Amino acid sequence: MTKTITKEKVFIHPIDQIWNAITNAEEISTWFLEADFKAEVGYNYVFNSSGEDCSPIIGEVLEANPYILTYTWIVKDTPGTTIVTWKLEDLGGSTKLTLAHSGIENYAGETAIAMFESFNGGWDNCINGLTSYLKEEVNAR
Amino acid sequence: MQDNINKLFKAIADPTRRDIFHALVLATSALSITQISTQFDMSRQGVTKHIKILNDAGLVQMNEQGRNRFCYADPKPLKEVNKWMQFYSQFWDDSLDKLGNYLDTKQT
Repeated sequence: MTKTITKEKVFIHPIDQIWNAITNAEEISTWFLEADFKAEVGYNYVFNSSGEDCSPIIGEVLEANPYILTYTWIVKDTPGTTIVTWKLEDLGGSTKLTLAHSGIENYAGETAIAMFESFNGGWDNCINGLTSYLKEEVNAR
Repeated sequence: MQDNINKLFKAIADPTRRDIFHALVLATSALSITQISTQFDMSRQGVTKHIKILNDAGLVQMNEQGRNRFCYADPKPLKEVNKWMQFYSQFWDDSLDKLGNYLDTKQT
């Protein structure tokens, strides 16, 4: 059973535009989660979600050199640490993004239970809520 | 239901139990406690303890044949763990779609 999730996606957009979208707090807050974020090694970031009673995601930036961004990904108040890595490759105008989320095997024992409850209970509702919020925002423009 | 999940995660949290479970998955037939203890260089008592926890979690089923107990793997409960993987997989798919949409709207 593999414990790392890997996603690859090619965007028609230039590499710097995507790099900014994943490293700039204002941009992250627009498309992803409301963010207090700096692409500086050692920065302790917070991703909030829009709903009430939703655990924020917290973590530390481990690597932030164009075009690799790595941070720990922790659902607050749970002890399990996972790691998210974004890697961008210039394909000559378009850009290949590789996202890896590893360490899900660290969700073991008590942590696993807390994580599971967090996901099952509210957290994915929080995310879903955010998705529809963003859709409304985009349509309103 | 929640209780089952607790048992499941307790069972798979331990590396030795994961190894025993994998050995049972790979085995072509059910293994006795003695066979498992030989394979893992572990006391029968130790194996029995691990097997009991795996059995409580529903990951290992047992057949009694005379004085011997034979164990075989039942991976069905692992679906619960896969649910997370599916959750995050879906989450990242959605997020990357949103990133794409965002980049598109920004460009125009």
